[in-house]
Amino acid sequence: MSDNKHRVCATNEVSPGQQKIVQVGRLSIGIFTFDDTYHAMLNVCPHQGAALCEGPVCGTSQQTDNAEFIYCKDDALVRCAWHGWEFDIKSGESLFDPSIKAKTYPVSVEGEDIYVHL
Amino acid sequence: MIIDVDCHNYWSTAEVLIPYLDKHHRDYFVRGEQPGPKGAFPHAHRAWLHPEGFKRADITPISEDDNYAIMKEKHLDHYNIDYAILTGDEAIEASTLANPHYASALVRAYNDYQIEEWLPRDERFMGSIVIAPQDPHLAAAEIRRLGHHPRMVQVLASHGATRPYGDPFYHPIFEACAEVGLPFAIHLGGQGGINSNPIAAGPSTYFWETHAILPQSAMTHMASMIAQGVFEKWPSLYFIIIECGVAWVPSVLWRLDANYKALRKETPWLKRLPSEYFKDHIRFTTQPLERPDNLQHLWSILEAMDGKNTLLFASDYPHWDYDDVNNLHIPPEWRENIMGGNAMQVYKRLQALDASKKAV
Repeated sequence: MSDNKHRVCATNEVSPGQQKIVQVGRLSIGIFTFDDTYHAMLNVCPHQGAALCEGPVCGTSQQTDNAEFIYCKDDALVRCAWHGWEFDIKSGESLFDPSIKAKTYPVSVEGEDIYVHL
Repeated sequence: MIIDVDCHNYWSTAEVLIPYLDKHHRDYFVRGEQPGPKGAFPHAHRAWLHPEGFKRADITPISEDDNYAIMKEKHLDHYNIDYAILTGDEAIEASTLANPHYASALVRAYNDYQIEEWLPRDERFMGSIVIAPQDPHLAAAEIRRLGHHPRMVQVLASHGATRPYGDPFYHPIFEACAEVGLPFAIHLGGQGGINSNPIAAGPSTYFWETHAILPQSAMTHMASMIAQGVFEKWPSLYFIIIECGVAWVPSVLWRLDANYKALRKETPWLKRLPSEYFKDHIRFTTQPLERPDNLQHLWSILEAMDGKNTLLFASDYPHWDYDDVNNLHIPPEWRENIMGGNAMQVYKRLQALDASKKAV
């Protein structure tokens, strides 16, 4: 984890399904939480540069072999605000092609403060 | 110069139309059956529902004034757009209603609302006269009522229609367009209700699947406008096809030209190849511009349709398949034409306005 760390917000400012957009220098970053872990993602979509992290945080349907709709990644996924591409918040990977990745940053928590490591 | 040919001026509720409706149809709207909750626009709804809604998730108007404020900040000012042609949003869906009088009252109300509440807000706005094409005579009357307004630059209907637009049934519309000197544009939409054939071979199932093949009916309209001789009857008319895809165009033109060469005797009123009418009279908007992995594949196709001269930039703000001004994947040397030059040539009224603005 890089030493270039920045306090971005308090833990009570984000909740599952409710992200917070923070500014670190020139970077706009989305802060997310689910399963008691915190995550940071650059607010720029690899598709067309849109405000990726401002889209809905939700789940999606798991890939199946038949017409069965299994809801997965609940609150662990963000849909880009513009064109709806789905990204795994933890890995930054797009769901239709994992080689398309949103930039993510390591996060640490000290007490009630969230830090992003650039 | 950037001219956005498809900029949707959203409303938060269709009740904004109430003050602009005549009393008879206001009662329909206020007390009559609605296809959704209070404030829903009265359209005969399409069979496909977008699972995430049509709007970009970062555009979240609450008050009616937000609709303009957010568009100004996130779109017009952000990209330095010189002119934006307003295409409304739900208003074109009036084409789905069986009652042509109610449909016409709704688009009339929308047009007055647009003139009263949108055009004065920003000099960059140009308007579209939305029509309900199911009664072409009522539509023509609406075109004549507003056709000389200096900031109305086109006539607009949905691409969903009861029959192909070249059909003589619709000719009163083109007569009126030619009379007031405005292009006729169609925008993707109006599937459902009386427009029961938006998809050939029967209704497809899923939203993304359907949205990808909706250009089917635009193919029919393009062929029909050419074959029925609309551009021989009204030689100054432009036909603009908005949001119906682009990469299919050369393929259909090649087929039309091939068949016409053999069977021109069916349509003796035509004097030229279908592709020649296309080049002089039909324009396509870019969004959503197809994006193959190999851009050269797309650019070869665009070249085959003389895209440098036949494409008009459109963003489709604020919809889910919006195209970003700064990311439009067209050949760089065509940019000036496509971003504004071609639109300036087609929208004669905008030409006049722009010239008078520069003279001041």
